[in-house]
Amino acid sequence: MISRMKAFRKYCAIFKIQVINSLAYPAELLWRSLAIVLFLWIFAQLWRITYAAAGKEIIEGLTLQDTLWYFMLAETIELSRPRLARLISDSVKDGSIAYLLNKPYNFLLYHLSTSLGESFFRWILNALFGGVIVWLLVGPPPDPRGWPMALIAILGAMLLHFCFSALIGLAAFVVEEIAPFEWIYQKIIFILGGLLIPLDFLPQWLQSIAKSLPFSYMLYGPARLFVTPDLGRFTALLAGQLTWLALFGGVLALVYARGARHLAINGG
Amino acid sequence: MLRETKFLLSLWKTNLLSALEYRAAFLAQSIGMMLNNAVYFVFWVIFFDRFKELRGWQLSDMFLVFGVAAGAFGLTSLLFGNTFTLSEIIAGGRLDYYLSLPRPVLLHVIASRSVASGLGDFTYGILSYLASGLYSWSGLARFFFGVILACVAFTAFNILVHSLTFWLGNASGFAGLAVNAMLSFALYPVSLFEGAAKFILFTIIPAALMGAIPAEFVRRFDWATLGELTLGAGLLLALAIFVFYRGLRRYESGSAIQTEV
Repeated sequence: MISRMKAFRKYCAIFKIQVINSLAYPAELLWRSLAIVLFLWIFAQLWRITYAAAGKEIIEGLTLQDTLWYFMLAETIELSRPRLARLISDSVKDGSIAYLLNKPYNFLLYHLSTSLGESFFRWILNALFGGVIVWLLVGPPPDPRGWPMALIAILGAMLLHFCFSALIGLAAFVVEEIAPFEWIYQKIIFILGGLLIPLDFLPQWLQSIAKSLPFSYMLYGPARLFVTPDLGRFTALLAGQLTWLALFGGVLALVYARGARHLAINGG
Repeated sequence: MLRETKFLLSLWKTNLLSALEYRAAFLAQSIGMMLNNAVYFVFWVIFFDRFKELRGWQLSDMFLVFGVAAGAFGLTSLLFGNTFTLSEIIAGGRLDYYLSLPRPVLLHVIASRSVASGLGDFTYGILSYLASGLYSWSGLARFFFGVILACVAFTAFNILVHSLTFWLGNASGFAGLAVNAMLSFALYPVSLFEGAAKFILFTIIPAALMGAIPAEFVRRFDWATLGELTLGAGLLLALAIFVFYRGLRRYESGSAIQTEV
């Protein structure tokens, strides 16, 4: 119990250092956060015209206001993610992973702590700028009583993202270039995760497929919960996230153990 | 002019040979980028399947715009790869290497790196055009011409925003946002935007020069459209070169030892 507390404090310290580190270049942080304003403004034009052309106020249970707030949260999650896959693959390719392996912390938990730390202020600024622009464009956000549920779902989403990103990064043990996997993963998230279009707008057959895959629990789930908070939806989302986390967390641990063993044998 | 053309061709040949040293990675990046673009485009297939049209724009129009924009982006990445990192080069004092050589600095800097995934973007651009259903031999010729002019406009815009580093310190964050804006606006139907927004797309962030206008030129030949595109790309390039060399007067050498292989 005591050793677990010590380990937890260790990773909290790493998290805290990375949060402070992320403020080293505030101008860079600010410029990156303005990207969400651009994307949400474009989405607002697109969906405003689409709703007007369809002649409807509600499409698949979502008003224009809901749709824009949905995109605000989905974009905030997506734009706040650090480029973990690239970071891990670079450390595997240039051998600097060897310096991390002999430290008194777990490689994966170390990267989890640093990526959550790096995301912290990005998330806040993206949510702030995104929230302001959407409020100005379509009106106030959804019921704040649903926000605590959405925050828990967002944490689950970020942990799931971490598993996938780390798996892609660890593919560097096997392949020379991981960038194609990164790009395709990102685009699958855009479509099947519901970043570019809410899954509710997809054809029924594609909706069923998308909602049964883990990607929908990373963006669509939390964003939909945010605009239409509901305890049943929250419970189902949490159960899904925990199931996928158990599966992919296990796969990640196995892949890492195998890769690290392989590296140790050949690196000496 | 001939000498600089030969120099440029040598740079491109060197970049290609360098990329081909790691053939598997080169192919993986090219094919991966094509798949990346194809998956991204699925959004428009789904959108137009559901909503049919968007202020007169249909799926075939999106194929065309995507084809031109991806082709232009790919060409810039392949031929002038350092365009995207110009601000880091300036801020890091890495212009010293180029300043000491008897070649035009700007041309040398931007052409001395090639991004392998650019081939995937360029190839996807061609396939997207062919998939638009608006294919013809004269259209294909206009496509390549349009892509070249769009490439000039996009490259020039990159040089312009990255050159602000000479005055602002490291402007890579701002430049990244501006380039993101240009790409994003270029990939959406121009009919979405009205009034001041449309004005911006034709001037401050000239995304129309990368998407809508070349796509219109590919669809049908029109002297006015050709004139608009050529003049726009030409003026933007002239401005970019002027701003870069103006900024270069303010450049201070760094003390780092730098090697370029």
